[in-house]
Amino acid sequence: MIRLENIQRRYVSDEVETTALHDIDLHVQAGEFVAIMGPSGCGKSTLLNTLGTVDRPTGGRYLFGERDLAALDEKALAQFRGSTLGFVFQSFNLIDELTIEENIALGLAYRKDAGDRRGRVAAAMDKVGIAHRARHFPHQLSGGQQQRAAIARAIVGDPRLILADEPTGNLDTANGEQVMNILAGLNAEGATIVMVTHSPSHADMAKRRIDMLDGRIVASAMRAI
Amino acid sequence: MNSFALLSLYRSLTRHKLYAALNIGGLAVGIAVFLILSLYVRFETSFERWLPGYDGIYLVQTENKGIDSPFTGTYPNTMGGLLEQMKQDFPDIVGTRFNSGSGTVLRDGTAREEDIARVDADFFKVFDLPMVVGDKASALSDPTAIILSRSAARRYFGDVDPVGRTLTLSFDKPATYHVTGVFEDLPRNSDFKVSIIARQGKDFSSWWYHWGSTSLYTYLRFDTPAAARAFEQRMPAFIKRRGTPDMGDKVVEQIGLPLLPLADAHLQPAGKAVAAKKMTIITLGIVGVLTLLIAVVNYVNLATARAGLRAREVAMRKVLGADHGMLVRQFLGEAVMTVALAALAGLILAELGLPLVNAAGGLTLGIPYAVVVPALVILALVIGTLAGIYPALLLARWPASQVLSSARAPGGGRAGTRVREALVVFQFALAITFLVGTTVLVAQTRHIRSTDLGFRREGLLVLRGLSDDSLDKGRRLALVAALRRLPGVEAVTTANSAVGNTDTNNFDNLDVPGKPKPGPSLREIEVGRNFFETYGTRLIAGRVFDDAHPADDAGALAKGSTRNIVINRLAVAKLGYASPQDAIGKTVGGGSQRTIIGVVDQLRFFSPRLPDDPTYYTYYGDLAPYPIVTLRFTGDPRPFKAAVQTLWQKMAPQVPFMADTGNQALAKFYEDDDRATRLFGIGAGLAVLIGCVGLWGLASFNTARRIKEIGIRKTLGASSADIVRLLVGQFLRPVLIANLVAWPLAFVAMRTWLAGFDDRIALSPLYFVGASLLATAIAVLTVLGQSLRASRAAPAWALRHE
Repeated sequence: MIRLENIQRRYVSDEVETTALHDIDLHVQAGEFVAIMGPSGCGKSTLLNTLGTVDRPTGGRYLFGERDLAALDEKALAQFRGSTLGFVFQSFNLIDELTIEENIALGLAYRKDAGDRRGRVAAAMDKVGIAHRARHFPHQLSGGQQQRAAIARAIVGDPRLILADEPTGNLDTANGEQVMNILAGLNAEGATIVMVTHSPSHADMAKRRIDMLDGRIVASAMRAI
Repeated sequence: MNSFALLSLYRSLTRHKLYAALNIGGLAVGIAVFLILSLYVRFETSFERWLPGYDGIYLVQTENKGIDSPFTGTYPNTMGGLLEQMKQDFPDIVGTRFNSGSGTVLRDGTAREEDIARVDADFFKVFDLPMVVGDKASALSDPTAIILSRSAARRYFGDVDPVGRTLTLSFDKPATYHVTGVFEDLPRNSDFKVSIIARQGKDFSSWWYHWGSTSLYTYLRFDTPAAARAFEQRMPAFIKRRGTPDMGDKVVEQIGLPLLPLADAHLQPAGKAVAAKKMTIITLGIVGVLTLLIAVVNYVNLATARAGLRAREVAMRKVLGADHGMLVRQFLGEAVMTVALAALAGLILAELGLPLVNAAGGLTLGIPYAVVVPALVILALVIGTLAGIYPALLLARWPASQVLSSARAPGGGRAGTRVREALVVFQFALAITFLVGTTVLVAQTRHIRSTDLGFRREGLLVLRGLSDDSLDKGRRLALVAALRRLPGVEAVTTANSAVGNTDTNNFDNLDVPGKPKPGPSLREIEVGRNFFETYGTRLIAGRVFDDAHPADDAGALAKGSTRNIVINRLAVAKLGYASPQDAIGKTVGGGSQRTIIGVVDQLRFFSPRLPDDPTYYTYYGDLAPYPIVTLRFTGDPRPFKAAVQTLWQKMAPQVPFMADTGNQALAKFYEDDDRATRLFGIGAGLAVLIGCVGLWGLASFNTARRIKEIGIRKTLGASSADIVRLLVGQFLRPVLIANLVAWPLAFVAMRTWLAGFDDRIALSPLYFVGASLLATAIAVLTVLGQSLRASRAAPAWALRHE
């Protein structure tokens, strides 16, 4: 489903050039659950952002299905994200001024083919067990509840790919387990997931593990089932 | 404030240069506008207050209480002999007459016009005019004595001491006067325009002691306001005693003599005119205060918005031991310091802007530092406290632990946003009101300059001076004939009135047969040959005067015989005729009968603020009485006027050349409103500018605060256009609500102002829609730039932003 070829990402600031990604080649099949691991600053998040088209590579090719995403302009990329991708962040990134329900509905706000918005928001909330908190604001919820709400926002539009950036990083063990179980369940139902994590045990829940170091993929292993 | 707090303020200003510039700059402009308009209001309300003991001086007014009379209202003048009668009845009163007008100084065979006032010997007991040389007690004791203003003394005697020297003056006939003193030139804030003061002689014309007439100013001095009031209460008995012979038993019902404190006289309208000047001053004062208010609101808005960003600093200070009071003091101190900086910048701006304002308003305002600097210090303290108290309390209230443990900075939440939105509504409501006001003011001043006056205002030259006593009828006729022969002259006429002339106001009651007497009161204008041709008056019915009809020429008819008159359109209705055609051939009038031979359209010679008069015209074939010449000419007015002047000085060198083009003659009616419009426009423009600066600052702050949200929205598929719509829409809402507040406000204000004009524009909805569109466009443009920039930022960067 996803094919990255020779992807590079360089940052230039104040005459200092940093290369975050070196010639990354990566294939992800539909229905896969991929965990990316590695020390801080190795390029995990940059890779994830590149997959999510919120960061543009400075070199290489990114094919999603048969589409070359490098050829799309900003507007088309925004449409692509809205219809195809779901994001889950470490710091939840819920909007403080909106209720949980409104935050989740935001996942459909930029889609023209959203259909029954209310029904889909309710279904997503049910799926992550957050429906009783629909009218609350983010700061009134615990971290685990906030992350579940963020997952609901990511899945409300039935994305083909879910990108999760350390989704358990700000959570305690119990809440972390809960979130991972939800993600595993979604994968079991057919969702494709790419997740960045620091936790080996959470990485073990994925079907494939990729290790990164200094902007390069150094190992890729399938989990023995 | 300790040194760390000062350092913190300095860092805060230099680190956030744009914010500091907006905050201080906006407030500085507001303070400058406020300062300049205050100076103007102070100037207009300071008239005669420079005069020592001004508060004991009262002007005797004449109040005409007649019902259907064009003279109904209160006038600043009295009968010539009033003071003499008052002194006979109340021997203790102290008073003087002030008979101002132009006269001429004759020197070396040429005449120069001067403002000459004739006063009583007690003048200095009432007016303690500052003197350069001369003794106040004796300066005016001799009827042939005169005193000169400093500049008049220099004009006629150079650096030589003028005391004891002589001048030949002509105000009725030429006579020699000797100079006994020199007084300081009168300041700009005085309505007394006088360069030579002479003694008032007795005038033996029948009008001098005729009750109901008004010919000069009478001033009285009282020790206390109570004494003035007590004197005022004795007036009805005095009026009845003295006025009955002229005006009959009901004189007290027809006339009053109210006293007006001298300092109030400048803004007191005469007769039927409404208090336009007073309203203009009040309006400009309000504009000044509101502009300052807008700037203060801006400051508060930006300060509270930014306060959230300093939450962490506040929390750390609390952890390190600062208590609530210390923090409030620190932020208040910062606010006062910032406002003081803005006040200084505002003072500099006002000093730089004053020459422009003086040029635009025809003023000579200066900044009196002795008053302004202490006032600004107080202003800084008051505004600093007002503007600083909310953010200071807000900042000091946040619990430190929560701020330090939380990733997000408290920004006042939804309530804070609402307050800021309300303040934006307030600002823009005022700005839109100002915009509507400016458009209406400009449209009205344009309208009165271009409105149909019944004649073409270009190509007219009005010459006063033909009625000077030194010219006999033969020389007057010769002058008119010579003027007619000048190249470029199309027509010449004489009349006792002309465009812009407010000196002659004759009204007469014309009895209509079969209707109750006295008949309606009409203005009478006495015209010479070619009057209607010169002005190009439109004939509506009948005919205009023609030498072929002997009954047309009132000058050639025996007294009491029926003469022909022409009336204007308003007179047709006033006299009760169904149509102009219906009026033709009708005979009206009491003593001498008058037959209406023609109806002409209105000729608007006077102020657009006053209603146009129903008028009748009487014809004097060879020369109108008290003639004023009007010339209709073609070509460039400047060389034409010069040619007329050359001719005039050759044929009447002893009479000063006094000529105005039609536009110059009308300009005096427009001056005050033009000046007010320009000042209002400048104030309003700057108020809108300050509003935009505030909006820009707030937008930039809000955009910065929402960068993460923008990132989230973009990862969720929002396009740049979606983001721009979101950000612009957030600011558009308060601006749109502001329109709803502004419209009724502007409507009431502008309707009141326009009511002061008889000739006025309709208050079209276009002014409101136009101003709203403009304000909305300005607001959109103000926030669009930042929204575009924010919307283009890469979402990954936005998400990392904290």
